Amino acid sequence: MPNRYEVRHRTTYTYEQVVEACYERGPLRPRDTPCQQVESHTVTVSPEPDLVTEHTDHFGNYSQYLEIRTPHTELVVDKRAVVSVDRPAPDHSMLDAHTVADVARHTAADPDAPPVYAAYRLPSRLVDIGPDVIGYAAPLLAPDRPFGEALAALYGAIHADFRYRKGATSVRTTLPELLSLRAGVCQDFAHLALGCLRWAGLTARYVSGYLETTSPTGRPRLAGSDATHAWVSVRTPAGSWVDLDPTNNHLADSRYVVSAWGRDFADVSPLKGVVFTESATSRLTVGVDVIRL
Amino acid sequence: MNSAVAEPDGGVVGRYRSRLAVPATGQRPVDEICGPHGIREHQAGLAAALDSLGLGGLRGAQAEARRFVRDDGIRYGAGAGNRAARPTRRWEIDPVPVLVPAVEWARLEAGLQQRAVLLDRVLADLYGEQRLLREGIVPAEVVYGHPGFVHQAVGSGPAAQSHLVLTAADLGRGADGDWQVIADRDQTPAGAGYAMASRRITSRVMAALHRGSDIVRLRGFFHTMTLALQEASVTGAARPRIVLLSPGADSATAFEQSFIATLCGFPVVEAEDLVLREGRVWIQTRGRPEPVDVILRRVDAALCDPLELRADSQVGVPGLIEAVRRGQVTVVNPLGAGLLDNPGLLPFLGTAARHLLDEDLQLRSPETWWCGDPAGRDHVLAHLDELVVKPIAATRRGQSRFGWQLGTKDRAELRRAVEARPWAWCGQEALPLSTAPVVTPTGLEPRRLVIRAFAVTSGGTAHVLPGGLGRVAPRDGDHHVSTAAGALAKDVWVLAAEDTESTTPQRIRSTASQPAQRTTPAPRIAGSLYRVGRQAERVEGTARLLRVTADLVEDHGTRPNTPGAAAMATLLGAVTSITGSGIDPRTGAGSGRGPGAALGPTEPSGQPAQTGPAAQTGPAAQTGPAEQTGPAEQPLALLRRVLVDVETPGSVSYAAARLVRAAQEVRDQLSGDAWIVLSRLERTLGEMPDDDAQLQPQLAHVLESALAVAGIIVESMVRDAAWGFIDAGTRIERAQHTLSLLARTVATPRSPVTDGQVTEAVLTAGESIITHRRRMVTGEGPASPVQSAVTLLLLDGGNPRSVAFCLARLAEDLRLLGDPTLATRAEALAASVAELDVELLCAGDRGALADTVAGLGDDVQTLALALTRQHFTRRAPQRPLPSQWSTSTEEVG
Repeated sequence: MPNRYEVRHRTTYTYEQVVEACYERGPLRPRDTPCQQVESHTVTVSPEPDLVTEHTDHFGNYSQYLEIRTPHTELVVDKRAVVSVDRPAPDHSMLDAHTVADVARHTAADPDAPPVYAAYRLPSRLVDIGPDVIGYAAPLLAPDRPFGEALAALYGAIHADFRYRKGATSVRTTLPELLSLRAGVCQDFAHLALGCLRWAGLTARYVSGYLETTSPTGRPRLAGSDATHAWVSVRTPAGSWVDLDPTNNHLADSRYVVSAWGRDFADVSPLKGVVFTESATSRLTVGVDVIRL
Repeated sequence: MNSAVAEPDGGVVGRYRSRLAVPATGQRPVDEICGPHGIREHQAGLAAALDSLGLGGLRGAQAEARRFVRDDGIRYGAGAGNRAARPTRRWEIDPVPVLVPAVEWARLEAGLQQRAVLLDRVLADLYGEQRLLREGIVPAEVVYGHPGFVHQAVGSGPAAQSHLVLTAADLGRGADGDWQVIADRDQTPAGAGYAMASRRITSRVMAALHRGSDIVRLRGFFHTMTLALQEASVTGAARPRIVLLSPGADSATAFEQSFIATLCGFPVVEAEDLVLREGRVWIQTRGRPEPVDVILRRVDAALCDPLELRADSQVGVPGLIEAVRRGQVTVVNPLGAGLLDNPGLLPFLGTAARHLLDEDLQLRSPETWWCGDPAGRDHVLAHLDELVVKPIAATRRGQSRFGWQLGTKDRAELRRAVEARPWAWCGQEALPLSTAPVVTPTGLEPRRLVIRAFAVTSGGTAHVLPGGLGRVAPRDGDHHVSTAAGALAKDVWVLAAEDTESTTPQRIRSTASQPAQRTTPAPRIAGSLYRVGRQAERVEGTARLLRVTADLVEDHGTRPNTPGAAAMATLLGAVTSITGSGIDPRTGAGSGRGPGAALGPTEPSGQPAQTGPAAQTGPAAQTGPAEQTGPAEQPLALLRRVLVDVETPGSVSYAAARLVRAAQEVRDQLSGDAWIVLSRLERTLGEMPDDDAQLQPQLAHVLESALAVAGIIVESMVRDAAWGFIDAGTRIERAQHTLSLLARTVATPRSPVTDGQVTEAVLTAGESIITHRRRMVTGEGPASPVQSAVTLLLLDGGNPRSVAFCLARLAEDLRLLGDPTLATRAEALAASVAELDVELLCAGDRGALADTVAGLGDDVQTLALALTRQHFTRRAPQRPLPSQWSTSTEEVG
């Protein structure tokens, strides 16, 4: 039985002064994947946009463009989707039948791979592969190590070595900074994992999405208390992808709802925008609910 | 010819040949003029002309070229930015053209045409089906590893219709003398305008040679460019609106941007002039907004859309890519064309040509190895000391390196860099290049030559500019040829084929002219036009005031305690307060009241409001000169400073610098001749001798230049909204200047003799002394000189120098620029001035006059502020929304 969820993701920007015009872009509609189906989705924006368009970007995500020319001091983008997820357990024997080097060689030379996969093997803006990253990756992703074991070593190491601490990092934190901080959030851990995987020649992408959370004490969870999540996806020798979550120290299962994927956070930022305003500051609040149906 | 015999060693060419004979480093590269057995066949005419001119003639031509460059205002390079006073570097042209014979050109032209077609197909494929990648003809890492690849531009639909309209390539000769493509320059191909500008100058300074040579003209290329841009429109507009998107007047090639826009007949805009509305691009104007169909961009793709690309870009239009995606606008070259500048593509172009065109690539490139390929990397690392090692994307830090010039340490560093990211590097065989003669003080000197060639695709055919932008290395033996590194430009003359009639330019049907773009300019442009008017008038008004004050200083400066000395002191006081030059920047002495304290935001500009010193009419400004200038400064020194010191706000030089700056911002709106007079003004102010005796002659020169500027504006500009803004600036400035002058001089009664001298000086400064004298003699005018002065400078609607006249003209200007509301206010103000009674004003202690001019000053100032608010208010600042992690709250599992 697949898991069914309603995902609610509400983004609110408030400003001290009037915003004259605002242009927004983001993957506001989750993508379908081999293990995920989007049954329905809605996007509600206030004030009413003058234009909303959607196209499929180069990474296969749905991407929305919003144009809001009604002067406002608060912008609310409320997206909701009903999705069903049925992610099969990974085939560990298949993963461990190959070494890291084999997988790297095989996937890079795969004639059936779309050209864009090359982008998932190269450094990207937020995934710079310098000596620090290489130093971290080398013992974990040794070329002759079985692939599945190496992946487990990678997410296990990041989980063990880094503390989860909100506010420790920002979108501008670099990987060397993260490596010295030894603390961060899921986006940071995903970027570090990507840097290691790509250094090893593997094809690995950044996945932006949501995760069903359970309240540790069993009490009802608070509305809006969930958040967006990020993890990584690696191409396997079988041509499929295996998703690993270094934040939570395991491979992804059917509690993981995919929104979009790309080379790093910058490609799939949940919402980015440009505003015209005298207001020097703005406040962002995000409320996310992942509700099991 | 005869002079060639008279020259020792057989003339300049003979001596040039002997320089070539020296085998400096083994083999000499091919020379453009001299072959192994003498002058090359098609170069004989040029060689004879060089000998005939001799070194003296060539040096003369060089100097003349410099003067023309100055007069045309041809500049290159960034740097004007925050220094209003410093011009960008001037373009430098060597007068000796490069001659390319017809047969040789025909081969090159065919090769360039093929390359334009090929690169267009490559671009379409890489942003479309990507067959070149899927079939392994081009490695995907070459594309995805290059920052010029804009993945947002990938996709089907209307975006795919936009083509590579412009191409440019840098050419150099190989050891065998064949031209090869060193690099493609397709991001924002620049230089065709400089080529055209260089042609205009070279044809004048080498007039005899030019007349005697049958060379193919360049002008047709720009017609084709307009046509091609019109064809590129995908909106279906009957008369597509084209704009050139500039990064601003500070960009390195700002001159060329305006030059091309003017040649082709479309406006230069900046990002803030454009706005996205319902997925379309519009020019923002106060009146009716106008849709834009085609954008010729001079902004790098990465900066073109802060929503989808670099969020911090202030020179892009948020949503531009979406407009392209929706088929609402065409961007030329398409966003993503910068990918073609990737030297890592060169090893694969031959196969691509066979694959896409079923042809062999005609133009070779120096052999290039992409290091992402293990064999390529090994080769490059093994030959580091022989190759030019290039990053696939040149950045400020990552430039090409000439392996043989590197020391051991640098070479090891380069090796490590290549090993760390092999896919980001390639190695290229060094082309020997050819040499061409350059005029130097010691004769002609061989310098390495690179030619940038240009093509524009229209109607499915690539049309090659019959010529190009030649550039020679700054020093003999230098291999690096780049304009940024100080290369000299050379005109490239393509000789017409003898056996054909093709000496006329290529037959291109002339394009429909652009729709009359006589609508209200965008706020940024309107503001710059207004500043042109204001600053030009300020230069003139201040120069006049300085001249009359200098006269008084010369006559009375050595006679203290005379009425004349008192008049002099009054005028000096007027100078310091009107120009706000009370503070001596060197001593710091002064009233502490610079112009900055005087005024609100009269000046529309992005920077903190520049102030209008002329508008200080308040009583606080009426302080004596001694108190203002401090004891250290002598009157003539003060006047000199107010003339030449660019650091003194209110000085003539300061105003001139701001005038030039404002003119650069609206270069495409002004007559080309404006640059002759502006450059003369700059030159006059820049060459001021450090000698007080020269003050008067210099002031006369400055005034001449200022009058020439005014003349150009009056005589060469169509009376449209743009002119309305310039003239409004002129009138407001003049009205304020005159009111300030009256307030600080005749508004206070003095002893009769002093009063008379002050009045005369004021009338002279107000360019009304002759009428005044005539009226006094014939008895037509008012009874007293002061009344005459007040009548002429304040009330007389027939005197173009009067406040009443300025206000009436301002009202007309405001109607012209489409603001009837403000026009009515200006008319009312003019009417109130006309009703003033001169006898009442000048009665008693002239308190009424003082109050009136002060009140009028405030009124004009209020009007100026309203104009600024209404017309120059730029949109609110553009800000990226903060990108933030929105993080999961707790760990699970």
